[in-house]
Amino acid sequence: MGGIDPGRVGGTNAPAAPAGRRWRTGPYWLALQVVLSASLLLLFLLPIVALFTYAPVSRIFSELSNAQVREALWVTFLASGIAVLSAVVFGIPLGYVLARRRFPGRSVVESFIALPIVVPHLLVGLGLFFLVLPGTPLYRLTQSLGLPIYDTIWGVVLVMVFVSAPYTVLASELSFRAVDGRVIEASRSLGAGAATAFLTVTLPLAARGIVAGLLLTWARAVSEIGGLLILASFVIPGGVYSGPVSTTISVFIYSLFNQGDLQDAAAVSSLFLLFAFAIFLLVRLGERSGWLPWGRGELSP
Amino acid sequence: MAALGAGGAQPVTHWVVDGLETDLDHFHLGPVDLDLAPGSALAVLGPSGAGKTTLLRTLAGFLPVRRGAIRRDGVEISDWLPEERGLGYVPQGLGLFPHRTAEGNIRYPLELRDRPGADARVRELLDRFHLTSLARRYPSRLSGGEQQRVAIARALAADPELIVWDEPWQALDVQARYDLGLVFHELRETERVPVVVVTHDPGLAFSVADSFLVLRDGRVRGRYDAAALLSAPPDPFTARFVGFENVYDRATLEAPPRTPLRSWLLDRAGDDGVALSSPTFAAGEPSGPVWEGTVRSARPGPLGLTVDIHSDDLLVTLRVPPPWSPPVPSLGARVRFAIAEGSVHPLGTPPAGGARPP
Repeated sequence: MGGIDPGRVGGTNAPAAPAGRRWRTGPYWLALQVVLSASLLLLFLLPIVALFTYAPVSRIFSELSNAQVREALWVTFLASGIAVLSAVVFGIPLGYVLARRRFPGRSVVESFIALPIVVPHLLVGLGLFFLVLPGTPLYRLTQSLGLPIYDTIWGVVLVMVFVSAPYTVLASELSFRAVDGRVIEASRSLGAGAATAFLTVTLPLAARGIVAGLLLTWARAVSEIGGLLILASFVIPGGVYSGPVSTTISVFIYSLFNQGDLQDAAAVSSLFLLFAFAIFLLVRLGERSGWLPWGRGELSP
Repeated sequence: MAALGAGGAQPVTHWVVDGLETDLDHFHLGPVDLDLAPGSALAVLGPSGAGKTTLLRTLAGFLPVRRGAIRRDGVEISDWLPEERGLGYVPQGLGLFPHRTAEGNIRYPLELRDRPGADARVRELLDRFHLTSLARRYPSRLSGGEQQRVAIARALAADPELIVWDEPWQALDVQARYDLGLVFHELRETERVPVVVVTHDPGLAFSVADSFLVLRDGRVRGRYDAAALLSAPPDPFTARFVGFENVYDRATLEAPPRTPLRSWLLDRAGDDGVALSSPTFAAGEPSGPVWEGTVRSARPGPLGLTVDIHSDDLLVTLRVPPPWSPPVPSLGARVRFAIAEGSVHPLGTPPAGGARPP
């Protein structure tokens, strides 16, 4: 770099303070850091190992031939996919509004967004359940639209959106706010209209953080069980789901466990984890390789 | 114009700003009047918070015009959107796109316009600003001077009819400043595009601009050419900006204790204070009164000997051009110095009639 502070130039995606700075430390201080960090990492890792080693490896893959497992996986990915899509369509704009607009009651709105994160999810399910009880306005509305909620794929989607969309909203708000307004002004002055500047500058620069939020949203959606147990513990065919009566993978695993079928519970869990890991890995690799448009610039040689 | 090549034959435009006023939160700017003829270059000066950036952002269309008008060749454009103004705004920090290469940055305005000949134009701009070998680098991998060249090339790619640049020389080394100064000269000489720059750097302001607008607290203190700014700076900020080493604002002079030197300066101060061009050591028959003080520091340098003297609770800086005759005074030494009447410049409105001796 020449004599210019890279942090001042080109906004947020310019490299920040040198991340690789290391200080010489004494052995005890270092040992303390290693022991404390490693303890938590072990706690993260050991249950996963236990899960994968409880049932024979061959069983994990043979679960794929079980139609019930396949349907539960399909319901889960279908519903969580729709939930992520809803987060894209409604959550990113909300994040943008919160980041760029000033309006009265903004702080109230912001605390509302955190609500689904802090409320126990069993209560979320209960609240949604009361909302769509037969006789309520929402019940009549959803029935007349042909989108019944209770024990359908739409109920699953509803619960998932409720508990997971806040992560997209919060991540988008932070990412949009971190985009240097001067870079956007430069693009406007160069001839880009507001929408063009958003699509060519703001969105690409915020994309990395938004995608991280979408990943969290998806992870939160597929791991949901509390609200589902109340609102949609079964999924009756209808709407976008046309298979036999099924359930989400989380509820399915829970019922296996309740029946005392620990081997299958472990094997199905492991199978599901493999899928989840694969999706995370794909997104990360896509960013790292520059194949996805965000992440370019600061990563390139 | 020939240097521009393809796509660069833009008409030269005359910009007039008339009684412009704007508000940003609780800050009010204006009224500001400007006349930006083809080939002119205006430097906007003023301390932090004077409204320099606010003025540029209003010109560029990012802040609403509350009163007055911006006219481009007689057409009022006060309500036009930023993208419609045909104005190359380079914000503080340059506003390069970090997710686009140097070439991608320069190509951006051409992509928006989707005109034929974009490739040739990009190549020509890369070549002209010595960026061809850096074309595929991202801004984070360019030096400060290289980033500046990308910013100006990108602004020119949009064929602007006015260039508005906020702090172009911020954090640049000497060579990069020199190079950028040449770029500005070329803009004026060959393209005749009017230029407005905000800067804290007097050297480049004087080498590039032909007129100077001084702002303070959102108000225009005055508009000057270089000679007027040097001989009669309007306020303490400008006096320091143009290089006066001894600048005293009125509040400093009026603060107790009321010493003889302070009273003497106060008699000659304008309503904003006073600046001294260069006091000298008292030797022989000085033309004015002689003062005494204690040497606080003495620094020999290529431009001469600089001595800071503490006198009557004021710090006075003396500059003795080389070869200086007295030996370098030691710290704490008592010395005598003289302030010639002609070296005293009142700042702001001069003192009321008769207070200043002829």
